[in-house]
Amino acid sequence: MKPAVVRSSRPSDPSPSKLLLRDLPLPVTLALRYVRSTRRDAFATFLSVVAVVGIALGVTALVLSLAVISGFQEALRGELLGRTPQVLVDLPPGLGLAAAQAAREAVRRVPGVTGAQLQVRGSGWVVEQGKAHAVELVGFEGRVPRSFPGAAGRPEGLYVPASLVARWGLVPGRPLSLLSPRPTLTPLGPQPRLRTLPLASTYSSGRTQEDRERVALPRAVAETLLGGSERQIEVSAADLDAALAVAARLRDRPTGGDGDRSSGAAANGGLAGTAASGGVAPLPPGSEVRTWKELNRPLLFALRLEKVMMFVAVSLIVLVASLALVADLALIISSKRPEIGMLATMGATPAALRQAFVLLGGLVAGSGIALGTVIGVGGALVLDRYRLVPVPGRVYFLDYVPFLVKPLDLALVLVLTLALALASALYAAQRAATLDPIEALRR
Amino acid sequence: MSVTLLARGLTKTYQDGERRVPVLKGVDLTVEPGQLVAVVGPSGSGKSTLLHLLGALDRPDAGTVEIDGRPLAGLSGGQLASFRNRTIGFVFQFHQLLPDFTALENVMLPGRIAGLPPRAVLDRAQGLLAEVGLDERLDHFPGELSGGERQRVALCRALALSPPLLLADEPTGNLDPVSGDQVFALLLEMQARHHTTAVLVTHNPSIAERCGLVQRLEGGVLHREAPHDRAAGTLEG
Repeated sequence: MKPAVVRSSRPSDPSPSKLLLRDLPLPVTLALRYVRSTRRDAFATFLSVVAVVGIALGVTALVLSLAVISGFQEALRGELLGRTPQVLVDLPPGLGLAAAQAAREAVRRVPGVTGAQLQVRGSGWVVEQGKAHAVELVGFEGRVPRSFPGAAGRPEGLYVPASLVARWGLVPGRPLSLLSPRPTLTPLGPQPRLRTLPLASTYSSGRTQEDRERVALPRAVAETLLGGSERQIEVSAADLDAALAVAARLRDRPTGGDGDRSSGAAANGGLAGTAASGGVAPLPPGSEVRTWKELNRPLLFALRLEKVMMFVAVSLIVLVASLALVADLALIISSKRPEIGMLATMGATPAALRQAFVLLGGLVAGSGIALGTVIGVGGALVLDRYRLVPVPGRVYFLDYVPFLVKPLDLALVLVLTLALALASALYAAQRAATLDPIEALRR
Repeated sequence: MSVTLLARGLTKTYQDGERRVPVLKGVDLTVEPGQLVAVVGPSGSGKSTLLHLLGALDRPDAGTVEIDGRPLAGLSGGQLASFRNRTIGFVFQFHQLLPDFTALENVMLPGRIAGLPPRAVLDRAQGLLAEVGLDERLDHFPGELSGGERQRVALCRALALSPPLLLADEPTGNLDPVSGDQVFALLLEMQARHHTTAVLVTHNPSIAERCGLVQRLEGGVLHREAPHDRAAGTLEG
């Protein structure tokens, strides 16, 4: 039969790319063809671009906002955790010195422990030339503990924060008085306990404000001021994670009898465990083991809460972009009604049609996600590397805004965005899947 | 392979606001294997509705449709879709080709939907297009084809899986007389060559005359058209 209309012909052999496309599953082929066809429709193209840019912006905003919070968190954690004991064992009140020292020796033998120091803590004042400053007195033995950065490892002596030295114009070697709220009873009535020591040096007070500044002094002096009622063991490990493992081992250790206690007043049942003894020395009953996490729990909780709230708030951008994706797909589906009707007439199942449009939405969303990830991660790396966002160092504890992209955060952003986009695409695709073929074919 | 198409007591009523509009009021139709039946009637008489019911695109309010002894009433939506894919070929007034797919790809679609091996589907589609003289147009998109060529591609698509039943709704209604005649001649040739049972809805008396049997749809029921009526030109609705 001769064709009714003869036109100039092109080579009839299909190109390899077209053959490849024909071998793909039908929903994939449909989605890829519809991506191409939307480029010919100016309004559909505009909506697709809006959806891609919206999703890209959302991902960028999420990545950058989480990166800046993570950056600040890491900086703050480093700043604060450097001045927090990795593990602190609170010994029961009234425990005698010999029992406390025995407990310290027991702790030192726990695997993973790199150091254990007996300490006495309590409130007091630093007094100098009529000025008094409330501080937390930390009596230590041996070398200055690691929770006093800048002075850690130095010999016994009096160490005060560098900020106090700067405020009061103190000079190392100059005597400084320490006053205790615990009075001494004398025939003349209760008298405050006062000890004067030469200032050995300072420790770094950091750029964040402590609740109460600490002063490190020899344990023997602290015991005379505070009476040795709040004894603790500061435990060190190789790093923060190792410290958590050490704390777990300490908690698993059996508690001993109270025969070694001077008062025996403290009740058993602290956090120290009750497992059967395995031949290791027990912690005194009523001992409480706290890790750096528990010591900073309010702060760490606040940081996590801040991050979660920021994530939720910025996610709204992705949600709005997903709505643009719904509009884009709805327009494409509307313009393809007769084709969808014909596909259904030829036996295409609703599931196949749904898959095609979900894939189409996935391709649009995927472009936005890829673009947003590149901009967000790249931007965060550049902003952090070259410190492009300065902040006043005198006001904040940093002089630039740090950015840190954590793989888990990035994965969360990608999963959330993809889930929102696919849910939106599914909503729109459902319209295509449920089209009545007769209505769709009607012109 | 061809099938017997049997419709009994088909009724269909549409709701137009508060008003009920009965379109089919008990249509009976029997089409023997390999037979070509033309359904004629005035506009709005329900010809397309009848075709939709016969093609398992819609369900009747009452009555039954059986294709080769298999009633359609008990089939689920998914089963109907599969049944349409394998058993029925459709040709509409507007070609309804997918504009983003080439002529060859359009003809491959039923096979792709059926999940047949791509190579076999490709070979079959190329063979069909060659049969209708479009072997030089395989890679052309519908927008690059003439109206007659598009309708020929649509006919190939309808016959892609060698369906035993072909349903055509005004297949030449959108073409100029010359192209329309060519397409109809081709349809007759393909229907005879593939021994396909076919039902054709048309307004065109000259086309209806060339069919083996003519049924007039009027007042919601089918009447067999006598040959002298056709000669008198009373087919036009």
